Amino acid sequence: MISVSHYLAVGAILFCLGLIGFLSRRNLIVMFLSAELMLQGVAINFVAFSRHHGNLHGQVFTLFVIAVAACEAGIALALFLVLYRRKHSLDVSLWQGLREPGLPITGDPEPLPPEPEEPPLPHLAPAGAIPARGEPTHA
Amino acid sequence: MIASTDSLGWIAVLPVIAGGLAVWYALPGTRRRPQAVAGLLGVLALAGVGAYLFRGLGDRIPESVEAALFFGFSGLAIVFAGLMITARNPARSALAFAMVVLSTCGLFLLLAAPFLMAATIVIYAGAIIVTFLFVIMLSRQEGPSNADVRTREPALAAAAGFVLLATLLVGLQRVYSWRSVDAAIEHSSDLARSSHIDEGYLSPPRSVEQVAQVSPLTPKAQAFLDEMRAALERVRLGAPRGGSERGVTDHKYVQEIVHAIEGLDRYGFRQHDPDDVRQECQTIADGLQRLKAMRLGSRGFTDIVVSEHGVVKPVDGEAGDARQLPAANVSAIGRTLFSDHLLAIELAGTLLLIATVGAIAIAGTRREGRP
Repeated sequence: MISVSHYLAVGAILFCLGLIGFLSRRNLIVMFLSAELMLQGVAINFVAFSRHHGNLHGQVFTLFVIAVAACEAGIALALFLVLYRRKHSLDVSLWQGLREPGLPITGDPEPLPPEPEEPPLPHLAPAGAIPARGEPTHA
Repeated sequence: MIASTDSLGWIAVLPVIAGGLAVWYALPGTRRRPQAVAGLLGVLALAGVGAYLFRGLGDRIPESVEAALFFGFSGLAIVFAGLMITARNPARSALAFAMVVLSTCGLFLLLAAPFLMAATIVIYAGAIIVTFLFVIMLSRQEGPSNADVRTREPALAAAAGFVLLATLLVGLQRVYSWRSVDAAIEHSSDLARSSHIDEGYLSPPRSVEQVAQVSPLTPKAQAFLDEMRAALERVRLGAPRGGSERGVTDHKYVQEIVHAIEGLDRYGFRQHDPDDVRQECQTIADGLQRLKAMRLGSRGFTDIVVSEHGVVKPVDGEAGDARQLPAANVSAIGRTLFSDHLLAIELAGTLLLIATVGAIAIAGTRREGRP
């Protein structure tokens, strides 16, 4: 049997990857997904301990975590829609006006690199000419 | 003190370093980096994590279907988690997260939680991911954006996350690795069973004029005693401690081992007494075995004094039987939910209702009476 410590290690790895995503990404949606990833790591811990101790309290707690995550997703996605309507972007750095007083603003000094040129879409030849009006379609 | 040849936990630290470099390299930035390097580092980190799980933790993993499924599901979960936090396109992130959730559900199934598996698939992969994709669709934008191409302090973020990960993995290794204790048990029971004790352990017999002096321990004996003391420190955490008016006392197995080690130190090795050495080594091996079983939880506690403040509260029952999960998972969860956690489940329902009201109040912009 795989012991509880292996599941704890996997949960720790998922949690830390989610932490890095939450700290570094700037898209609100990716930040929120990273928070959900951290919750997944915690859920693995709970279920592993539930198996280890042979009672169901860990699984019940995971159910509550899922319920709270669903609430969180509903509220957060509604907030994202409102924020997107205001600034037409999901960039979290556009909301630096909410920072503490006295802190400098962090800007983006270098411009965005140009998008690599995509090959043009193939141009399809028309499959058949549209017949003119009044023309007999068949002999 | 933990006696181990791998005292720094390199088997845990090396994959963490490789993984940190891989994630830092693959996080989106204004400069495009070759992704092959990140992929190579990621494969190295995964191999290192596999080696850590195989060698660094707990008992040996048997080559079974369960082990194969565990490594498959956890590998998929970790790979897609890495892809999720490094993808430039948020829609790809959402799909990778769906894969992480599905792999986690596989792990839930391995952990005997089928109801949670179904609930997680329905709620996460069904509802939440679809809602995410809707939001991504509603807030679509043309071309590259600051939000997707730039990251905030990727090096610092990766360093913070992976320092935390290294701490957690080394801590898990220190708590769950039994290799030093197993080696100590084997060593002492070998010594107890051997018909002829190795002369390297025993101090030379004293001549008549040296009787007054204490003969020194041989290096081999000193190393043996150190190993036993380290193994005792490692397992004594699991032994409950008794309490009385006179203070906290150690468990009787711990006391037996301490006495045996002291005996070896004072008499057995120094006085060239092979019978005494065999007997004390047997005591140490038995005691370590019992303490390890107690720490792993496979031995029932029948004589525990739980409180350190003198309240004796014996816990009985065979722990080995009580540790089985009930067979009918769904009905057992239902019984637990509606008997032990009734208030909590009502609160969770209320929370969901309030969240629904809040989401409609935040996102709704239509005024009354207008379409």
